[in-house]
Amino acid sequence: MLDKLSSSLKDALKKLAGKAVVDREAVEELVRDLQRALIQADVNVRLVQALSQAVKTRSLDEQPPKGMSVREHVLRIVYQELLRLMGSRAEVALGPQKILLAGLQGSGKTTTTAKLARFFQRKGLKAGVICADTFRPGAYDQLSTLCGRVNVPCYGEPGEKAAEGIVERGLAALATSEVILIDTQGRHALEKDLIDEIIRLNQISKADHRWLIIDAALGQQARDQARRFHEAIGIDGVIVTKMDGTAKGGGALSAVSEIQSGIVFIGSGETIDDLERFDPDSFISRLLGMGDLKSLVERAEEAISTEEMDVQGMLRGKFTLRDMYKQLDAVSRMGPLKQIMSMLPLGGADVPSEAIDVTSAKMARYRVIMDSMTAQELDDPNLIGGSRIHRIAKGSGSSPDEVRELLKYYRLMQRALKGMRGGKFNLQRMMRKFSGM
Amino acid sequence: MFDGLREKLRSVREVFGTSIQAASTPPAAEGQGAGAGAAPRTGPGLAERVKILVTDGELVLTEKQIQAPLQELEMVLLENDVALPVTDEILRRVKEDLVGKHRSIGQDPGVVILAALRDAILRVLGEGFDLPGYIRARDRPVKILFTGVNGTGKTTTVAKVGHYLKKLGFSVVIASGDTFRAGALEQIGTHAERLGIKIIQHKAGGDPSAVLFDAVEYAGAHKMDVVLADSAGRFHNRVNLMNQLEKMKRVMKPDLVVYVDEAVAGNDAVVRAEEFEKLVGTDAVILTKADMDMRGGAAISVAHTVGKPIMFLGTGQGYDDLMPFTPDLVVEELLGGAL
Repeated sequence: MLDKLSSSLKDALKKLAGKAVVDREAVEELVRDLQRALIQADVNVRLVQALSQAVKTRSLDEQPPKGMSVREHVLRIVYQELLRLMGSRAEVALGPQKILLAGLQGSGKTTTTAKLARFFQRKGLKAGVICADTFRPGAYDQLSTLCGRVNVPCYGEPGEKAAEGIVERGLAALATSEVILIDTQGRHALEKDLIDEIIRLNQISKADHRWLIIDAALGQQARDQARRFHEAIGIDGVIVTKMDGTAKGGGALSAVSEIQSGIVFIGSGETIDDLERFDPDSFISRLLGMGDLKSLVERAEEAISTEEMDVQGMLRGKFTLRDMYKQLDAVSRMGPLKQIMSMLPLGGADVPSEAIDVTSAKMARYRVIMDSMTAQELDDPNLIGGSRIHRIAKGSGSSPDEVRELLKYYRLMQRALKGMRGGKFNLQRMMRKFSGM
Repeated sequence: MFDGLREKLRSVREVFGTSIQAASTPPAAEGQGAGAGAAPRTGPGLAERVKILVTDGELVLTEKQIQAPLQELEMVLLENDVALPVTDEILRRVKEDLVGKHRSIGQDPGVVILAALRDAILRVLGEGFDLPGYIRARDRPVKILFTGVNGTGKTTTVAKVGHYLKKLGFSVVIASGDTFRAGALEQIGTHAERLGIKIIQHKAGGDPSAVLFDAVEYAGAHKMDVVLADSAGRFHNRVNLMNQLEKMKRVMKPDLVVYVDEAVAGNDAVVRAEEFEKLVGTDAVILTKADMDMRGGAAISVAHTVGKPIMFLGTGQGYDDLMPFTPDLVVEELLGGAL
């Protein structure tokens, strides 16, 4: 459903593609689609209205810079306006500090606390954690288990009812830690007692930072909730969690624009290392459901050196089993294929879902099977016939059906990559546009 | 809850009212010629006015006349987390109900609109779900599996439902099916202990299906009425985890699969509810954290999308903060109940 929506946005952009002058009607249509896309992504309705008004006026009033097409001009304005809402990324100081974490119930505070401890630990700082959640059963067990896995000291007093005392004693107990993270109980703006409690915790701990944890799926009320938290303790950073689901995080955007503080981190998975620094480009791309080339290129650079994979060659349709082997190898370092695919601006290409829904276990299996192929076969998969399939199956300890499945998957990928190249997809141009902004 | 949405809906109703009243005034002045006041001027306006046929004291509304209030209604619904497709659906129904229908002039516009709106929302909400009645009608033990994404409040909800059923005199056993999240065993263990409910647990990291199987066996052997199975939160786009859930379902053979989501979730609520329904099925829905906000639009959205009845609303952190969901009451509350 969401994909349908973002493609309608792309259609609207396409209509602008061939135009030399900014066409009022086309811009209005684009703005309408933009509105729907943003509302669908949970951006606050009032914010969407203000934003679309700004985009409309600027698109029609401003002259597109020389050499920039109308489409790029409008897209750039949309991007800039969104960026303005989001503010800059909040910086994380790598030094001694105390951080108080607050948020709604179930937003992922405890998991995020452990992830943050891990982050600072990896940066070479001595981290310590205080569990000030006195309400939820198992909260201390959860935090101490997570911290125990990475050898971060965790202070807590299961059974104690007053969080204030725990924080006081915890700060004393963790005096040697450089970074102290304080996990608190989940609360929402309408619970006055709990809001009062976090105000007291903030005073007692004299926290240097107060970060608000927001679930990516949070809807229209994100703005109000964020404001109340901000009024209570002065939030100076936001962490958006559960970005590995399908939620777009528009609620978080509304929150950030309301309290005028940047997003610090993005939580993107269940394990302790799944914490990313916030990147406005990829956030906006996701919000609009449009490709995020910049971060793809960055990620790809990290994971694969250039000689390892000939991307241009692949797009030209030169895609052998050998490339696929490297790809599968790289995928384990780059993250799931679906995520990578979602970052590519595949406007025209329809990548079949079978090609994407390959589980990591299957990926590993495929690699084993390919290990049993000859160099010739890897370079020219067409060689592989019935008897070779049997040999490969025996060699890799798999069934002929599995080998056939692998070959089918290979053909799917080959077709998908060929499709990506067709017509509207122009890698260089896209790169230029993204780097120009 | 719902206070915010109710406030807004009331004001929209008034806008509808004035526009309908405006629609019924110009025909009265038609005999005199030039239309005055809010009515459109002559020229194109005349054609407009001809559409408002007044035959035997009846009045027909055109789409144009209710466009402005409809747009306002759309904003109100969207602002209150009613998902976009669901908003469209409600608008379509209200429009269908109002446009082109003959209304007698004497009828109070407020009543007309209220009826249309009530009808549209009621149809979108679907029916409630009477859990105690369901359990009484089934063979024991009745097995209930709770599913949902991370952090929606499944574990707390299992405890609350256990408490609710226990109060009604049912014997309950809880299966601690979340063997993944650190602290989950302790969390549900503490709840069960406080409530005096039997709990079946394995070690952390164990196979959740095995826990569920044991709980069902235990319930059978001890003639218990209900098995409530907690499960680890999982995202619908994780193939492996969804397969695990499917296995849990296969092993446990639940009578009911209850999907738990939070009432504060935005549009994604619809996406994931759909995926869960598709992959493991959903028989009923529980919406948690309904106390966080006065609006509750997500409740309407999820109910409509999943097409499954809402069983309970979670309204706070205490064990008693669980409210059976009755659509009539919700609509009554939303629209102020005044007819």
